[in-house]
Amino acid sequence: METKNIRVFFSKTGRAVYISHLDLYRLFQRAIKRAKLPIWETEGFNPHVYITFALPLALGTAGLCESMDTKLTEDISTDELVQRFNDALPRDIRVLSAAEPVRKATEIALSEYEAEFDCDSEAFTKFLSAEHIPAEKKTKRGIAELDLKQHLNVLEQRPGYLRFSFPSGAEFNINAGLLFDAFEKISGTEIYSLHITRTAIKCSDGKIFG
Amino acid sequence: MYKDKLDRILLKVQKPSRYIGGELNSIEKDPEKVTMRFAFCFPDTYDIGMSHLGMKILYSLINSVPEYWCERVFMPLPDMEEQMRKNDILLYGLESLEPIRNCDFIGFTLQYELSFSNILAMLDLAGLPVYAKDREALTPIVCAGGPCVCNSEPIADFVDICILGEGEEINLELMRLLEQCKAEGVSKHEFLVRAAQIEGIYVPSLYDVQYNEDCTIKSIIPLEGAPAKVRKRIIADFDSVYYPETFVVPFSEIVHDRAVVEVLRGCIRGCRFCQAGYFYRPFREKSVDTIKKETVSVCETTGYDEVSLTSLSTSDHSEIEKMLACLADYSDAARVNLSLPSMRIDRFSEELLDRIKSVRKSGLTFAPEAGTQRLRDVINKNITEENIMNGCRIAFEGGYTAVKLYFMLGLPTETMEDIEGIAELCQRIIDLYYSLPSRPKGKGIKISVSLSTFIPKPFTPFQFEPQPTEDVIKERQKHLMEVVNTKKVQVSRSHFDVTHLEAALARGDRRLSAVIYAAWKKGCKLDGWTEYYHYDKWLEAFSECGIDPSFYVNRQRSYDEILPWDHMDLLIDKSFFVRENKRAHEAQTTPNCREKCSGCGVSRCIGRACFPNG
Ligand code: SF4
Repeated sequence: METKNIRVFFSKTGRAVYISHLDLYRLFQRAIKRAKLPIWETEGFNPHVYITFALPLALGTAGLCESMDTKLTEDISTDELVQRFNDALPRDIRVLSAAEPVRKATEIALSEYEAEFDCDSEAFTKFLSAEHIPAEKKTKRGIAELDLKQHLNVLEQRPGYLRFSFPSGAEFNINAGLLFDAFEKISGTEIYSLHITRTAIKCSDGKIFG
Repeated sequence: MYKDKLDRILLKVQKPSRYIGGELNSIEKDPEKVTMRFAFCFPDTYDIGMSHLGMKILYSLINSVPEYWCERVFMPLPDMEEQMRKNDILLYGLESLEPIRNCDFIGFTLQYELSFSNILAMLDLAGLPVYAKDREALTPIVCAGGPCVCNSEPIADFVDICILGEGEEINLELMRLLEQCKAEGVSKHEFLVRAAQIEGIYVPSLYDVQYNEDCTIKSIIPLEGAPAKVRKRIIADFDSVYYPETFVVPFSEIVHDRAVVEVLRGCIRGCRFCQAGYFYRPFREKSVDTIKKETVSVCETTGYDEVSLTSLSTSDHSEIEKMLACLADYSDAARVNLSLPSMRIDRFSEELLDRIKSVRKSGLTFAPEAGTQRLRDVINKNITEENIMNGCRIAFEGGYTAVKLYFMLGLPTETMEDIEGIAELCQRIIDLYYSLPSRPKGKGIKISVSLSTFIPKPFTPFQFEPQPTEDVIKERQKHLMEVVNTKKVQVSRSHFDVTHLEAALARGDRRLSAVIYAAWKKGCKLDGWTEYYHYDKWLEAFSECGIDPSFYVNRQRSYDEILPWDHMDLLIDKSFFVRENKRAHEAQTTPNCREKCSGCGVSRCIGRACFPNG
């Protein structure tokens, strides 16, 4: 059979949030080997299963809508694919669904996040309502200054909880954690606990990346 | 459970995934439903400890009992330790993320002497007193196992129990005893007295050591019914010994990131410097069927694409060819590479080369250990120059252009001639390379010489020998650098500072507990890591305790001296080591065990010949 493109959606939560992008790549390769899934392998001297991730997730951030693209060499039902993946993956990485890709990774424009945290709420509200939120972002060319306020879109806010979005994609991407680093720096107060989860990845037309 | 606290600090440390557990095949149990908890501590970092086979075996074995729970614990690097201390996080198990001080057992595996200070560091991080006498409650019981316990005297003050021999046998027995003692509510002392009755269990506090005026040992007296000699436990039926069906697969890359199958235990060779060779006697091997079954199981459940057939000397398996042929069928189909880490140059053949070729084309490693035949005979490395040349020829004809050769410097009876012999041997290998018409075209040869320093170890024929002094070692190292005059040979050598400490600890007695304590108090830990090793602090610690390390390192022991480890019984007669020592000084070799039994005492203890025809 011709190879068939497939996009596998998975969650990365709990203890798995500390798995780096590079390690995640190896982890999925091994899971595929364990599960004996019919996945296309690259040709050449050192063949390996072909997988690629649409959008990296920052270390420490959980994700509920992460995705990995690959190619199948045999027909296999989605249910079976999901089941076999999950039998071969560590507990805190779960494959949720799989489907033929609809959008291109280059169409990704933003990510939505949910953050639960414990800090001085008043200070946090004040921080969010400032006209500018200066922050530093590491790039390939060094450290760049940017104003988070320009890019931040608050969707829901209550004490200890924030739902918001930031630009995402290969071109321009802001890690959610940057907002909280900036808060600690600007307010001079500490965040006692912080859990950030990416809840949605969307394209520039506002539709879910699928 | 520290999950929330850890979430606050883990992004501040390097490679956080090694501090959080949750890897594939790691085992989480309901704390309410388990009766015994065992914190298995590897006194080094995650990256090193997770590569260690013994830990994988015991982890799975203990967890195979539904009501027992074994967790993994490693030494955090300084960045993590700092965060833990700042945030009141005690040393925790990677499975439960709960402090290990609440476990019933805290077990250390001791693979090298330089990890001794890490025991103190880890106990302290766990919130426990480092001295055994200061831990009064019945639990946790601190125990130690692994090859270093054949002389555990330097750490005698810190551990409650040492496990001599193969943990597969004893661990569960010990856990059952503690479970029973806990139910009866007996004291820690009573438990230790009872534990000492189990064969292979050594309770240091139940022995009274007296010294002579010259600091040698006068007597070692067992107390309260403890055995005069603690007898090593071994597994009689090695083919059916417990082997894990699967391994925990780390998230991050570790030192040996691959599947491992142990094909045999022990060694037939009897190299006179090698402690492992005697510690793991008698030689026992698994059948090809068992090896195949274990290989398939471990590969299929981990997803590794490389499997290492490990042992002290894998090529000595009696059915090595059949084994490789049989495994090749599987590995080719499953696209798994086979690797044979420990290969004798005299067992090296075209077929073997073919099998391992796919793994590492870059270089091959051999260990002649000494530069002249005379010295190789002294150490009983039964390898001839012809073997070495033949092995290299096969390698070169097979397309290899680099070989790595291991040598030891400072061996008993060594002279400058032996040092020059290393350079001459290298030159003859280079000449051989260029004389071969079939050598790889247009490529030069590279020889890497790795020069370690001989460290006399307990339970070897060289246990009586001094290590040469600093001046002598450095002079010989220098001489080798001078006589190697080609860029084709690259020499790397071990640091004197490190070998010196290792040599002192290896043959130390109980008085060294005070030195280890003092060094740790000065900040010594992670001594196996060049960047954290402080030789000056160790020397200060020795001098503050009024102990001269050269007493342990550079002193010739007489055959009748009571050695600090004489109350350990490794099933080998001391008279055998004396005999072997004398033969060494006469440059007489001893045949390997498969060829001819030399009567070391093991077969008498196990009540059968070590080899069917023996
Ligand atoms: S009893 Fe003989 S064969 Fe067995 S280990 Fe000792 S020397 Fe070797």
